[in-house]
Amino acid sequence: MTLTIAHTVDDALTAMAQGARPIAGGTDLVVGHRQGKAPLPAQLVAIDRLTELSRVELASDQIRIGSGVTHADLMIDPIVVGRLTAVADAAALVGSPATRNVGTIGGNIMNGSPAMDTGAPLVVLGAEAVLRTETSERRVSLADLWTGPGTVSAQADELCTGLVISTPTTQHGSAYVRLEYRRAMEIAIVGAAASVSFDGDRITSLRVALTAVAPTIREVKGLDDVVDQPSFVGTGGVIVPEVLSRIGSLASQQATPISDLRASDRYRSHVVGVMARRAVDAAARRAAGEEISVPVNRAIGIGAQR
Amino acid sequence: MTVLSSDLPPFRRADGPDKVTGSGRYTADLSVTGMAYAKLCFAKVAHGRIRRLDVTAARELAGVFAVITADDVPDLLYSPVIPDRRLFARDVVRFEGEVLAAVAAVDAETAERAVSLIDVEIEPLPVVNDLEAALKEDSPLVHEDWESYEATGDTPRDRNVATFSSITKGDAASAMDTADVVVSSRYVADGSHAVPIEPRSVLAQWEGDAVTIWTSSQVPFEARAGVCETLQLPTNRVRVIVPHLGGGFGGKCGFHFEAHVAALAKAAKRPAKLVFSREEEFLAPDRRRESMIVELTTGVTNDGEIVARQGRVLIDNGAYVADAAFFPQLAAMHVGGPYRIPAIELEASLVYTNHQPSGSVRAPTAPQACWAVESHTDELADAVGLDPVEFRRRNIVHTGDEGFAGQVYGEIGLDECLERAAASLAASVAEVPLGSHEATGVAVSWWPSFGVPAGANVKMQEDGSVQIITGAQECGTGAVMTLADIAADELGVEPSDIRIVYQDTAVAPTGPGATGSQTLLNHGRAVEAASRQIADQLRELAAAELEAAAGDIVLADGQAGVAGSPGASLAIADLAASAAQADLLLGSASAPVPEYPTVSAVCVGDQGMAAWLAPQFSCHAVRVAVDPDTGVSRVLEVHAAHDSGTILNPIGAHGQVEGGIVMGIGQALTEGTQLGEGLQRNAGLLEYKLQTIADVPTISTQFVEIDTPNAGPRGSKGLAEAPNVATAAAIANAIRGVIGSSVRTLPMTAERVWSTIEEARV
Repeated sequence: MTLTIAHTVDDALTAMAQGARPIAGGTDLVVGHRQGKAPLPAQLVAIDRLTELSRVELASDQIRIGSGVTHADLMIDPIVVGRLTAVADAAALVGSPATRNVGTIGGNIMNGSPAMDTGAPLVVLGAEAVLRTETSERRVSLADLWTGPGTVSAQADELCTGLVISTPTTQHGSAYVRLEYRRAMEIAIVGAAASVSFDGDRITSLRVALTAVAPTIREVKGLDDVVDQPSFVGTGGVIVPEVLSRIGSLASQQATPISDLRASDRYRSHVVGVMARRAVDAAARRAAGEEISVPVNRAIGIGAQR
Repeated sequence: MTVLSSDLPPFRRADGPDKVTGSGRYTADLSVTGMAYAKLCFAKVAHGRIRRLDVTAARELAGVFAVITADDVPDLLYSPVIPDRRLFARDVVRFEGEVLAAVAAVDAETAERAVSLIDVEIEPLPVVNDLEAALKEDSPLVHEDWESYEATGDTPRDRNVATFSSITKGDAASAMDTADVVVSSRYVADGSHAVPIEPRSVLAQWEGDAVTIWTSSQVPFEARAGVCETLQLPTNRVRVIVPHLGGGFGGKCGFHFEAHVAALAKAAKRPAKLVFSREEEFLAPDRRRESMIVELTTGVTNDGEIVARQGRVLIDNGAYVADAAFFPQLAAMHVGGPYRIPAIELEASLVYTNHQPSGSVRAPTAPQACWAVESHTDELADAVGLDPVEFRRRNIVHTGDEGFAGQVYGEIGLDECLERAAASLAASVAEVPLGSHEATGVAVSWWPSFGVPAGANVKMQEDGSVQIITGAQECGTGAVMTLADIAADELGVEPSDIRIVYQDTAVAPTGPGATGSQTLLNHGRAVEAASRQIADQLRELAAAELEAAAGDIVLADGQAGVAGSPGASLAIADLAASAAQADLLLGSASAPVPEYPTVSAVCVGDQGMAAWLAPQFSCHAVRVAVDPDTGVSRVLEVHAAHDSGTILNPIGAHGQVEGGIVMGIGQALTEGTQLGEGLQRNAGLLEYKLQTIADVPTISTQFVEIDTPNAGPRGSKGLAEAPNVATAAAIANAIRGVIGSSVRTLPMTAERVWSTIEEARV
């Protein structure tokens, strides 16, 4: 096995053109190897020292997250927490402090797991992945990137250098909520992210995506009739319960989960609806200006404050 | 008492700095010159007949020093009570972790490759994996030749029933007819695991005809005995040393792979070291918390007095009996519980299956049985309209009462445990009222102390420093470290002047090690007695110098003084220096075993578990929140009160209770082995979900300290296992309080709680 340490992105792209696979935190690659899922590639190029990949930048209409940004950084980055809050909610729930300190968002999305926590938030926020080779650069939507559990449409020599997201409008909020059997070292059994924008008391945009209930992160369809309906109750900024229930039902109906050690398909279908409802509620409340700290899982719900 | 009072500065563990700085060495850290790497070849099927086991290709692989199988060790059956297993499988495999062969190679990768080259063909046999089906006449047998096994003691056996026990007092059927209300319940608990953080490791090195074995064992003397029995070696030729041990929780009790590695090292003609993966730690040891089915019927009067109980318990033994022969009687004691029940009829069976063998994991049988009986108790309280605390108040055993099995108790503190834990919780609820999806739950429990022989050597050296040489084993609890406090108190020196030498069977007197909450109870009595011998010598020396009666000499603060004469004293270090030139200061004692109480109940299959030495009592009271939409339960508070006699080491004692509670929460909510056709499906820490520090609730602990006679040193009882018993039961009762019905399977996972809510809705 050879390991090349890249000092520039171009170094990394050259190595990848010659067949190397990138490694940053190694939390999937190394663990997968140890568990006997897949042997380590014969050639690796380390990209963890590329500072140009580890920045979050806000341009006028666009936020760019470098692929080397760690989960630990995402959960406290002011741009992410302030404008892409669902991503911070998700990053804060990933694994343990050790995992979060080395695991990167680029590795997360290129691993293509339908159980990844940051996936659903990025989908509802409309993120696109930036893929570069020595000679090209393209943007691809996450729906097009993820082709199945653990598979992506990127070519072997394409390096994900980051994600670009249109800067959300002012009356906007997002949230990610996950089912947890315990409060650390947990993997998503089901989860849901929501992104909500308002104009006054009307919803102008609503997107919901689901974690771990389909071969890839699944966006909930058929939410159009929720948009442009008056949805505020009083001045609390809460979407009416009937609408939340409808969204939850749509989520449950569209989920096609499996039964495994973690949960039955029946339970997953039910709970993903609960998660969707809660994510939309939290996102809407954030859009209305309510302070709900990151992550939502610790801020509200059963025993959350204790 | 100058050293053992609770207002002292924090207790410092002698092994603490090693462990927290990383300088401590665990077995896996050790290397010796020329060492080979060992790997075991496991059956990987639950039940089958070996048709082919060909190790030729593995032996021929470059870098392989030895491959051994059943043909390379003495052909004999071993195990306590019912010898039913061999070191290496011969003819039949009965669980997936059964060892077929062992390989020694130049490195770990070569050893693993060699194992993959072993040619195994196993013809599948029907898998026995259902406790009730295993009892039927037409069930396949786990051991076709069970009748030929030479069991010892009172062990009724029948086909797949490895052992059976019953406890009968009075006429339960007639008494049941006099009850105003009769409640029947059935509960099923899944198996679970000890999960020590250190997967075990064994290193064996022969020098001539003697072998030294470094191993991750809680019980070095039992490990030595196992090696001697299976490899047919005299005791004097086997030395077992335990480096730092990374936890055990019972999982490292007994004798496991020490003989495999010793035999392998002999065949390889060089030292060999085995290090388990986490998966192997889950699959192979014969220590797993047993799954259990509990059926109970109890009759009560309208004013809440229990008049009769009938019960049946089935315990999953797995493929071999290991140390589980006594489990039926112990489980029966727990489904009776610490209650006054005038008429009772309990039956319990240990059932052979093709699962990993069960064995003593922290308080074996008790958390599951307590969960069942205490859930049942809340159903009884409900049935007669009594508050759960009040119902228990009317039925538990108090000082002087006769327990259901006929033991009459001396001074015990169960009633005070109940009152104190309930009051502590009530005070919290008064301060922070219950939320909309919150409820409280309470459970009482008990656990025996085990008195067995143990010895200790103590020596005071020329500078007044002291060495304790003990067969006790430190498994993480810190109990061994408390031995220094006992000796310091006897000898009038500081605990920091004392060094504890343990972990080596060639050096220390025999003792039980870290098993059955016995470290202080048994090893403590020996250290106390041996220290007293030196204290007596010091008093004699000081008396001669100070011209006082030996009986008036007081040893304290490093000085030998005379009672009532503040001016007259000698430094203990000076006395020690004098003694070093004359009669050495040596103490050596084997503490007498306390006398066991008797019972009046009729016990079939008596394993000595129906009457308990120095029983420990406890009550846990909890506040739990349940998310009604997902079934996720969260334990917010645990208020514990324990009667473990006198508390010798308050900081260590609090640590034990807190650790036991967290383990209990895991058993309650997330920890359960999932099986498919006899094979474990979640043998790893991703899918077997331990509690994490982030899940730990507020824990408040109180000790009801009773100076208990005929028990451990200074009126102490055990405390290692008791804190693990009542937690899941209390949580179950709180969950029931929130959702309105009992969750009848353990662990009470989110999905099971949700399903229970759903079923109640229909």
